[in-house]
Amino acid sequence: MDFYSFVEGPLLWIALLTFFFGTLLRVVLFLVVSRQTDKIIYEHFSWRYALTTIGRWLLPLNKDVAKNPVFTVLAYIFHICLIVVPIWYSSHITLWEESRLEWSWTPMPDRLADWMTLILLAIAIFLLLRRIVSADIRLLSTFSDYFLLIVTALPFLTGYFLTHGTLDHIGFLADNMILIHMLAGELMLILIPFTKLSHFVLFFFSRASAGIEFGRRGYSM
Amino acid sequence: MNDKVNPKEIMDFLKSKMGARFKMWLKICAHCGLCSDSCHYYLANDKDPEMIPARKVRHLQEILKKKGKVDRDFLEKVYQTVYHECNMCRRCTLYCPFGIDIALMIGTLRSLLLSQGIAPEGLMAAIESYKEFGNQMSVTKEDWVDTVEWCEEEMAEELLGLKIPIDKKGARIMYTVNAREAKFYPQDIMEVAKIFHVAGEDWTLPSEDGWDDTNLAMFATDTKTAKQIVENTFRRAEELGVQQVAVTE
Repeated sequence: MDFYSFVEGPLLWIALLTFFFGTLLRVVLFLVVSRQTDKIIYEHFSWRYALTTIGRWLLPLNKDVAKNPVFTVLAYIFHICLIVVPIWYSSHITLWEESRLEWSWTPMPDRLADWMTLILLAIAIFLLLRRIVSADIRLLSTFSDYFLLIVTALPFLTGYFLTHGTLDHIGFLADNMILIHMLAGELMLILIPFTKLSHFVLFFFSRASAGIEFGRRGYSM
Repeated sequence: MNDKVNPKEIMDFLKSKMGARFKMWLKICAHCGLCSDSCHYYLANDKDPEMIPARKVRHLQEILKKKGKVDRDFLEKVYQTVYHECNMCRRCTLYCPFGIDIALMIGTLRSLLLSQGIAPEGLMAAIESYKEFGNQMSVTKEDWVDTVEWCEEEMAEELLGLKIPIDKKGARIMYTVNAREAKFYPQDIMEVAKIFHVAGEDWTLPSEDGWDDTNLAMFATDTKTAKQIVENTFRRAEELGVQQVAVTE
């Protein structure tokens, strides 16, 4: 098996399974351990507060929107692009259709996918500059903050290069962009469960715990 | 104070306090900085980046990373942060997209420091006093009852028939005070007695532990002592069969 087939086949499975089971393990671990160590969540558990607070932060209905409107709105747009493009991009769906699972769903227009990719990349650059330029955020930033931002943006950057042949005048990249694109996506999937990127699912548990604590006291959730 | 810090002691202590939420919070904090300008220490210090709430929990990260192998100097730095740069108001949590409870982590650092004998002197003295006397001012039961009886005598000259009922079973209200009143400001107890008397209220003061309604142990996140203090008051209320517990102003 050559490297390409490995990346396209087994490594993709490894990445998907790591992503899926790693995430599942994080959630199960949280639920099991918190039963012992964070009883307060269960003693005061309330679907009402948990769902209200999750809703308010999934939608821009929270305190941060008024306090930091620019950053918050950009962060929302960033996340929407991040989720929508990989799932509804037409060529990705074609791959699902050709896979053994034969899943299929309606794709988004390619032009929209292009725009959302560019918007995501622009916001990623903004986030990177913000980390570098702002003394505050620079102090908070660790190596992994920079690294993960690049890991997150890379599949989109390489995907754009791939579909538009932007760098095709460089022979090596013209031949291997699809390989680089797949590797970038797989790297991100594998890293999600082990890094702060796991917030994509832990957000719900963290948010709900906070909502339960603050809701019953009548504070803002 | 010796200079040695026992890493195992520190880690054992933290392990007993670090729940699933703590680990999740430390993992997912995106260092986005949205907590910065929610913090009054940050705003009052010309937006000093060191005052960003997310920054203040770095000590906890560091202790865990070093597996407790830290020295006294380090703990003194932690002390500076957790006592002088955060008053655990939890406002940052309201602005954190993940609802990360910085204050809870600062509180845990305070309790860790206390376990190592580091806390503001007055606070440590008060905590010792709670443990020994049940109140923060080291007032003995005899002194407390004496003070209340003296207050009653003094007031009876002014308001005929005024009584300060001690341990009256079945009273409607059990009144509790700040131990400072018993020690330094008994006139406060007299004023309250006057109001209760004129209002014709059915009230009482307990003679046993639980009459001090302050809970300074909470400030050092000494949860064991803090719990004991509250339990004392509840036990007295149950023994006396009162309907309400009133707290001094």
